[in-house]
Amino acid sequence: MRLAVVGKGGSGKSVVAATLARLLARRGHRVLALDSDTLPGLSISLGADVPDDAPLNAAAERNEKGRWHLVKGVGPARAVQRYATDAPDGVRLLQLGKTDKRGLAPNRASHNAFYQVIHRLGDVRSLDDWVILGDLPAGPRQTAFDWAPYARRFLLVVEPTWQSMLTARRIIRIAREQRDDAEFSLVVNKVTPEADVQRAEQFLGVPLLGTVPADDDVRAAERAGVALLDLAPDAPAVHAIERLADALDVRNIDRL
Amino acid sequence: MKIVVAGKGGVGKTTVSGTVSRALARAGHDVLALDADTNPMLGVSLGVGPEETDLLVAVRQGLETGETEHEQTTAGFVERFGRDAPDGVRLVVASRIERANPGCTCCGVSPESLLLELESDGKIIIGDLEAGIGTVMRLQEGQADVVLVVAQPTAKSLNIARRAVEMADDRGGRVIVIANRVRDDEDLAVIREAVGECEMVVVPDDAAIAQADREGRAAIDVDENSPGVKVLIELADRLASMAVPA
Repeated sequence: MRLAVVGKGGSGKSVVAATLARLLARRGHRVLALDSDTLPGLSISLGADVPDDAPLNAAAERNEKGRWHLVKGVGPARAVQRYATDAPDGVRLLQLGKTDKRGLAPNRASHNAFYQVIHRLGDVRSLDDWVILGDLPAGPRQTAFDWAPYARRFLLVVEPTWQSMLTARRIIRIAREQRDDAEFSLVVNKVTPEADVQRAEQFLGVPLLGTVPADDDVRAAERAGVALLDLAPDAPAVHAIERLADALDVRNIDRL
Repeated sequence: MKIVVAGKGGVGKTTVSGTVSRALARAGHDVLALDADTNPMLGVSLGVGPEETDLLVAVRQGLETGETEHEQTTAGFVERFGRDAPDGVRLVVASRIERANPGCTCCGVSPESLLLELESDGKIIIGDLEAGIGTVMRLQEGQADVVLVVAQPTAKSLNIARRAVEMADDRGGRVIVIANRVRDDEDLAVIREAVGECEMVVVPDDAAIAQADREGRAAIDVDENSPGVKVLIELADRLASMAVPA
């Protein structure tokens, strides 16, 4: 299963991605989570540590011409093996690195390594039976710049609001332009009784994988900056994401 | 006067920008609303409608496909890449890029340089910035008189808000934190703890704003007397009192 979770900022991408990753890991899947956001997101929602400096900085160097390349002896397989870190439930997490006061500069090696690794994940035989689940930063930008080459399916996390739906439509257009084989699944998040799920489905023309209710437990976890699964393992949103995992499993995850 | 609005994606930057713009225009000010987000949505919050908002993006994309001619002057830019929004607000989309195609970067105009080039001359310019902290980081002294940092009671948004406040402080200008979607004292306490003792406006969690988001309308059109909208109208009054009269 090779998924990229996309959507507008604040739509709940990271909570859905992180909870899904851990639930799939608990079911016995080996899961590699890819965090390509330079702002805090997936790692917090997973309940994983955020290192001050991205481990992947050690994986790339620049040649005399100023071009970045993976350091000698490190291919994509070894990069994942060496520089992915442990997250709860056995999930392995590869991080792009976060922006800090110094801006992006300290993590330039990591950015380059990350980009090269994700573009060569398809060659890594040892990952064939892994679930690869990437959490992209908000909006259409990274999709446009080809930061999800591993994804066979884009999971669109959409709130039942117009801003969220328009963002998702922009992402679909861009992804389709680049990848005619891209598949999409819709997750409508923060669903309240007033929400119109069908409208989102029709507007986007993408099959609905499932819905996740608006849930005060998620609000509490996000306020505390902890994983939903650790704070409220029995929350309605967790059960809803369990059902998303079911739906993905039923579709024979190896084909996704 | 130039005001910029910053914060994490989804915290309500656009609602704040849109509502304050409309309120200022209603109070008789000449308002230019600049959508500098790479995923421009300000039109929705101003009340021009979701599909109309998307059309403005299409105009900009025309640059990349060659259907639209480049524009060299900022005045022409405002004219050609903008449209009128309710209450007389002028909306201009100035996002950096949307499509993968390399080439046009908005006629060479970055939102930051545009902010610098646009003459306020009595106008109030509100820039709805790209999500995150990159734009605040690139902000030069003198580009903004006021930086509104929008935050909600989540660790992720506060991580960004805290850094945006620090950076905005370093660059001069007045910084006001907009504590959005606040339900209780604990919500307010986590925001206060993260951003410290700075000027703050508290916007309560508001059903009218949620309804506006669902319906793709301006919050001020849904209910101008709802608690959240009222706070934003008061904020507009406060901002207007700082502006040099035209």
